[in-house]
Amino acid sequence: MSMPLRETPTEVRELSYAEAIRDGLAVAMERDERVILMGEDIGVYGGAFQVSGDLVQRFGEDRVVDTPISELGGAGIAVGAALTGLRPVYEFQFSDFATLAMEQIVNQAAKLRFMLGGAVSVPLVMRFPAGSGTGAAAQHSQSLEAWFGHVPGLKVCQAATPYDAKGLLLAALEDPDPVMLFEHKLLYKTKGPVPEGHYTVPIGQAHLCRRGGDVTIVATAVMVHRALAAADKLAEEGIEAEVIDLRTIRPLDRKTVVESVAKTSRLMVVYEGVKTLGIGAEVSAMIAESEAFDYLDAPIVRLGGAEAPIPYNPDLEKAAVPQEPDILEAARSLVRGRL
Amino acid sequence: MPVEVIMPKVDMDMTRGRVAAWHVEEGAAVATGDPLFDIETDKAAMEVESPASGRLHHIRAAAGAEVAIGTAIAWIYAEGEAVCDPPAADTAATVPAQIGSPEDTAEPMAAQHPRPSDALSSSVEKARATPQARRLARESGLTLNVIEGSGPRGRIGGADVEAHLLRNEGAAAETTQGWQAEAGSLVVHRAGSGKRTPILLIHGFAADADGWQKLEPYLAPDHPRLKLELPGHGRSPKRPVESFRGLARMVVEAFDREDLPGAHLVGHSLGGALALALADVRPKRIASLSLLAPAGLGPEIDGRILSGVARAGRKDSLAPWLRELVHNGTLISGDYVAAAMRARQDPALRAYQRDLAETLFPDSTQSVDLLAALERLQVPTQIVWGRADRVVPWKQALRAPGRVALHLLREVGHLPQIETPEDLAPLLNNLIRLAELDRPPMTLDAKGVAL
Repeated sequence: MSMPLRETPTEVRELSYAEAIRDGLAVAMERDERVILMGEDIGVYGGAFQVSGDLVQRFGEDRVVDTPISELGGAGIAVGAALTGLRPVYEFQFSDFATLAMEQIVNQAAKLRFMLGGAVSVPLVMRFPAGSGTGAAAQHSQSLEAWFGHVPGLKVCQAATPYDAKGLLLAALEDPDPVMLFEHKLLYKTKGPVPEGHYTVPIGQAHLCRRGGDVTIVATAVMVHRALAAADKLAEEGIEAEVIDLRTIRPLDRKTVVESVAKTSRLMVVYEGVKTLGIGAEVSAMIAESEAFDYLDAPIVRLGGAEAPIPYNPDLEKAAVPQEPDILEAARSLVRGRL
Repeated sequence: MPVEVIMPKVDMDMTRGRVAAWHVEEGAAVATGDPLFDIETDKAAMEVESPASGRLHHIRAAAGAEVAIGTAIAWIYAEGEAVCDPPAADTAATVPAQIGSPEDTAEPMAAQHPRPSDALSSSVEKARATPQARRLARESGLTLNVIEGSGPRGRIGGADVEAHLLRNEGAAAETTQGWQAEAGSLVVHRAGSGKRTPILLIHGFAADADGWQKLEPYLAPDHPRLKLELPGHGRSPKRPVESFRGLARMVVEAFDREDLPGAHLVGHSLGGALALALADVRPKRIASLSLLAPAGLGPEIDGRILSGVARAGRKDSLAPWLRELVHNGTLISGDYVAAAMRARQDPALRAYQRDLAETLFPDSTQSVDLLAALERLQVPTQIVWGRADRVVPWKQALRAPGRVALHLLREVGHLPQIETPEDLAPLLNNLIRLAELDRPPMTLDAKGVAL
């Protein structure tokens, strides 16, 4: 991987996405005693998706704190802890439950720096297991990242790889303001190279995963992998797709996307959140407002989630979000001038 | 979103087509590639395949109807997709539309589908074109209504503008039979207002004076810059060249016309060889000589790259050759290629340069050897070469006499003035400064003879 490393790590191992986050949490807790973990069942149970695992054994119950089943209460304690100088990492069991904690996130964490004239900051990290594909139905499968992306004062990231999951977590812990980390549940078991020790992936920097001249596919989270798989098949048909993993949706990396679209003249945005008023709308509008506008040679295409709650039925669940064949077909139509 | 079925353009002269028969009925299922309808033109009859899978709706041109090419004559909805209101009648269509199934209107998501009728509401006068096409047309001085669009509903895309330009170029090339000989002196562009001995810059094969743009801001500002353009390059006339010697004579002639008391010479590639030849015949007027990846020091040259650049008639074919010129191909941006192609838009200029390459570098060999001139030369001289030069190998520099300073730049290809102007300029400025320490700025005596 070509990402800049802040400190030279010693060794690169294959870790799963969940292990990479756990590794990042342990590295941060060893380096900085202000780092504490909070969340429901993150202690002996190890977290709803086994991300915190054995951290309670390694760092003790003072630093790995099981909070009561009240997201509003837990988030409030986390905001307070951050205000006192700690570096809390609050885990939601499912990102869907963040709806219960919106008051603390949106009205408190995001705004206190501004309302108190910069006298305080809220160095809070929140982790949100998100997305569909696990058969968990409408209340446990949403992709709500765009909601948070609409709030000034928050930063919002979506790592697609184990490397980025750890690097963005460590970058978030160095950030003076609240950072929301959305982790797609289908990615937790995916593996990838992860260096030992401390390194960061800069917040606000997209990753150009694949170069190509025919169409720019901007994707997030699990869609990055579907876009890359589609790009391989497109290459066999003579279509070279450029794939950009946004990694951060607020603030957006305007430069990387604009430069790519100016080169390829075609843009497709693939994301799992509901299509309307989402990441695709923002990226499309950004391009329409940019110097890349004059280079567009086809309508912009958005592939997003259906305008419906995620269904329980596995076939319908699949149909409700973009899949690899959808990306393939849309890219073909786009490049071959059928749109 | 429903896919339009369009009256295609199946031969060059076709402007309208007649639907001979439909193979699929209104509302029936159809798969991509299935025979959908037959068309007849003045010249031919042919079968048109379905552009999509789904169900056919809103057939607007019944068998026998004749419509303009690019007109939507039906729509294919994905299986289960809500069928919108029928498209509004359009002047191009001759048959009233049939009505989609009415029960679909209760579908809550139907409102989100763009209706075909929205897509058809634009006026006839306003050309339908992508921003890319509009930009390309603007840059080429074309109006959109002369360009034929191949996209949905006749939309003009970037490729249509490029195809139009190409066709016109092809036509131009036919009438000029390649290129026509022109007369006149070579063009010398002046820049900068310094009072010291000017710097004369001579570009390489298939380049022009604009190729110095990246370097110029770094050059010592107290020396005015004179940028010579070789015949059939940039704005210079296409004077026939029979040999390197003939080309060198034109450069000397241009130099003499400028009537300079003296000059610092900077020549790149072929321009390096010409600078050396100029210094050889006007040694007293040359204050210093900087040769960038010069030709003339050895037999090897990659004629494949040179003729590739000279031949390329469009951006796609030019870009790979331009990337061969540099070490780091990402330097060659789309904008750079576009600008280079604009400079090479004249097919006669390209034909001229192809012939010139054949004259100067037959069979990938440099037909001229200037080592003897370099041996004779007494002025302060340096050679700057990129170690990653794929056009002329830098090892030819080792043939230079020991008096000549040699700078070999790492990770630089054949275009140091573009790849690393900030590193190149100090080398040029230093030699100019040193040469003037050695010898006062050149002046003319009362008779106009260089001292």
